[in-house]
Amino acid sequence: MSGNPPPDEVLGIEDLHITVHDGAVTAVRGISLSVSTGEIVGLVGESGSGKTLACRAALGVLPAGCAIESGTISFGGKDVTDLSRRGWERLHGTGVGAVFQDPSSYLNPNLTVGSQLAEVLRVKQGMPRREAHRKTVELFTTVGLHNPERVFHQIPAELSGGMLQRVMIAIAISCGPQLLIADEATTALDVTIQAEIIELLKDLRDQRGLAVLFVSHDLALIRELCDRVVVFYAGEAVETGPVEEIIERPSHPYTQALLGVASVGDFQRRELRVIPGQPPQVGADITGCRFAARCPAAIDACRSAPVGLMRLAPGHQARCVRAADPELAAAAAETALAAR
Amino acid sequence: MNRRSPLTGPGSVLRLPSARIAVIVVVVVVVFLSVFGSALAPQDPLAINANALFQGPGLHHLLGTDYLGRDVLSRLMAGTRMSVLTAFEAVGIGLILGVPLGIATVFLGKWFDFAANRVSDALMTLPYVFFAVAVTAVLGNGLIQAMSAVGILLVPLFFRLTRAATLEFARAQYVEAAELLGASKLHVIRVHVVRKVLPTIAVTTAMMAAYALLSVSFFTFLGIGVTPPAPTWGGVLSSDVDYLSQAPWAPFIPGALIAITVGALNALADAFRDRVGPGTLPVAAQILAQVSKTHSTLEAADVRQSAA
Amino acid sequence: MTAPVTGAASLDAKPLLAAEDIDVVLGRGWRANQVLSHVNLKIWPGEIVGLVGETGSGKTTLARTVVGLVRPKQGRIVFDGTEISGLRGGARRRDRRSGHVQLVFQDPLRSLDPDLTVAEIVGEGLKIRGGIGRAEIERRATRALQQVGLDAALLSRAPGQISGGQRQRVAIARALATDPRLLLCDEPVSALDASNRNYILRLLGELRDSLGLPIVIISHDLSSLAGIADRVVVLYRGRIVEDGPVGQVFAEPRHPYTALLMASAPSVTHDRPLSAHQLRRTPDDPAPPSTANACVFAARCPFAIGACAEQPALEAIGTARNVRTAGTVEAAGPQTARWTAACHRHGEWPALARERSAVAAPRQPAKLTRNQEGFSSCPSSSSA
Repeated sequence: MSGNPPPDEVLGIEDLHITVHDGAVTAVRGISLSVSTGEIVGLVGESGSGKTLACRAALGVLPAGCAIESGTISFGGKDVTDLSRRGWERLHGTGVGAVFQDPSSYLNPNLTVGSQLAEVLRVKQGMPRREAHRKTVELFTTVGLHNPERVFHQIPAELSGGMLQRVMIAIAISCGPQLLIADEATTALDVTIQAEIIELLKDLRDQRGLAVLFVSHDLALIRELCDRVVVFYAGEAVETGPVEEIIERPSHPYTQALLGVASVGDFQRRELRVIPGQPPQVGADITGCRFAARCPAAIDACRSAPVGLMRLAPGHQARCVRAADPELAAAAAETALAAR
Repeated sequence: MNRRSPLTGPGSVLRLPSARIAVIVVVVVVVFLSVFGSALAPQDPLAINANALFQGPGLHHLLGTDYLGRDVLSRLMAGTRMSVLTAFEAVGIGLILGVPLGIATVFLGKWFDFAANRVSDALMTLPYVFFAVAVTAVLGNGLIQAMSAVGILLVPLFFRLTRAATLEFARAQYVEAAELLGASKLHVIRVHVVRKVLPTIAVTTAMMAAYALLSVSFFTFLGIGVTPPAPTWGGVLSSDVDYLSQAPWAPFIPGALIAITVGALNALADAFRDRVGPGTLPVAAQILAQVSKTHSTLEAADVRQSAA
Repeated sequence: MTAPVTGAASLDAKPLLAAEDIDVVLGRGWRANQVLSHVNLKIWPGEIVGLVGETGSGKTTLARTVVGLVRPKQGRIVFDGTEISGLRGGARRRDRRSGHVQLVFQDPLRSLDPDLTVAEIVGEGLKIRGGIGRAEIERRATRALQQVGLDAALLSRAPGQISGGQRQRVAIARALATDPRLLLCDEPVSALDASNRNYILRLLGELRDSLGLPIVIISHDLSSLAGIADRVVVLYRGRIVEDGPVGQVFAEPRHPYTALLMASAPSVTHDRPLSAHQLRRTPDDPAPPSTANACVFAARCPFAIGACAEQPALEAIGTARNVRTAGTVEAAGPQTARWTAACHRHGEWPALARERSAVAAPRQPAKLTRNQEGFSSCPSSSSA
């Protein structure tokens, strides 16, 4: 499973287990993923599937009561699983940056956005004031803000959600991190603005080799932006692989279900599908596949023993006993076609 | 049905931590004494005993005697009724007049609101001692009259606090939803507002009770509304101060009694206030959060308009 | 896919709801904002209309104006032949108690009283109406819950004790309990994931099919009405820019903003006739007219010409043609006559768009002087 990480790997997570409620319940089981320079990796799954917890672990900001039970997290080859608070403070901003869903709650409403970004530069990089100002304007331009000089002097209330999110991205990349983590960063934005932010992220990847870990519940969005995707369900990774491959040939029934409900984009009248049932309670004790209860293709073998990741192709794995089953593949192809 | 009552629900006073039990005990004892104090007093509060002047606390007189040899404990117990009841009278007047007005003014349109606010402002400018003296001059020198004056002056305070609390909840979206269903203002008040304003009223009442009790003590200390030799807390304190040289310890006793009771009432108000919060997030805070999240002045104006 | 049974089929049918020439100004004095301008909207029975617009487009204000929470500066709202926008006081309350027009608010956390039980919330409209016994109210509340797929066991719970998706459905049930004749839903699915979204949309579609209930779905995103809408109305900065049957509008949008919405929406399939970039202004495009009366979209439109200095009126898109949609062929006819768009160049811009570059030119890393504006893929100074 793990050998030597690829030379340009920025973030490596290996068999991560995270417990919540002070160790009572395991919310994330055995997640492994890696993000390399210039790569955008998407994490997709319903709320409660563990994708946000995994991100927070990668940032070293797990909430109180949550802890990494086992597994490793590494940054550019260096193990950071047990990094001290000091260590994380050094890493934040310079190694990894983050943007979250609601930009206005991360900005001081009484200070100008320019001063807030300049403050980051002065504190983290010891820049003198004038240079920080200049660099701030430069960063605002990089993230696509019109009139960056004017924006510098505006407070958050004067800016739209899309502009604020650009400001947050500017702050996140200001100290030159190799990795940007975006957790539902576009969920609250209008769709036209969302499209622009997605393009901005792609630009940053192309121009700076920025690696991005993008979390969303929207598979369609992941497909627009990401190179590879990890599908989360009930705390586990149920399928990982290149985005195109997974969209064309989804091997796990949950991925197929997600495809069935995802946005197709032509908005005509059609029959809408749902995924029946509910995900299991966080940390529920389930023998065998955690999706079996909702799976249309479940067989006895699914429920009898824990299911491991099966390798289907280079870089493509699925946690399904029937992943290589030709019958299932045929049914999946039918689903995929019908979704279009 | 699973109605969440303010008395037994999660925010109830009955679930206060044990440290606050003492507060409740004090309040309960005082209320008890106000009813049964005269009957339970060990000795006649009016009995003069020339042989036992200025005695310190001792076996026979647990809290000592005053300048006329009267048992201090008995006087204080008997005086509880007058002090406490008139304090409650004042709070009662404030509450009964102030609260309904405070709720109604939010729903009766802006001219009524304007007028009510100006009247309330006017009342609040009156200095209460002089007002009380003036009222007793007109209505007769009694504690009841004096405290009714205090009661009138408490009305603006109840009015304002109730109004502020009601404003918050009257702008809630569920109130809008009820209006869209054709609800009358009375329905909205009854179903959506009253229950949520109760915590504020409870806090205000406890605060005002403390204030009123202090006022009673103050008036009786000054001799306003006192018909001697009837005992009152402030009266006992006042006479003790006169004879400070003979009995320097004496004023501490009624003083402590007043302070403890007032303090207990304040603590009760604090305890109530601590409970107002998590369950019902003030609508104003929600609106503020919404406004700061919206990214266009158009939508923000819309939200403010909906709040207005 | 069932053919929609709608009154829209007959061009002469009277609309159930007509918002006529609505102007709304919010705020006073220097803060006054023209939120809606000359908005004309008609809703016929049995159709689902998607009212789409970004933040600031005025879509929520329009819904609030229809139900009377906002008073228009000009114009009127006519429901089933009766003008309801002029009602006040007791007459308005009486009209509302009949429950014929209901609005489902966007955020059920705010629109459901946290201190009431689900039963009290759903039955509130009936209780206000009066004259209905307790047992009957409970029966109808249970029925309303069932209509949205919720179990009667929820009746005794408080909003804080149920999930977000369930809260949303309770809000819809509250609106259904009074047997409305028109339902407006403000962003009913924006906060939900794909599966729950489809569930609620399907539910709304079923209400239309089984009850003939016309529903207006207000959203910033086309995917919030995908699959069930019959008609789409696109709002931009307080004006309707396009209004037409879903099959035709989405096959060939006539307003560049509609096309931009479609192009921006993420999709799992690749076929997009136009990319978003072809529909956005670039610094190379000529400066758009900026007169006070200019088209609302001009500042953002890559196809703006001199004529766009004048706000275009909604014109009928009148060519009768057969449009192939999702494997069926819908005959043209009265449908196309009710397709309008507000664009001077509605016939020309699609060809121009196709000629534009589908991808953004790679941007230079910025090294700026103080006065220089930065490159950006974002179209206008007042958006994004």
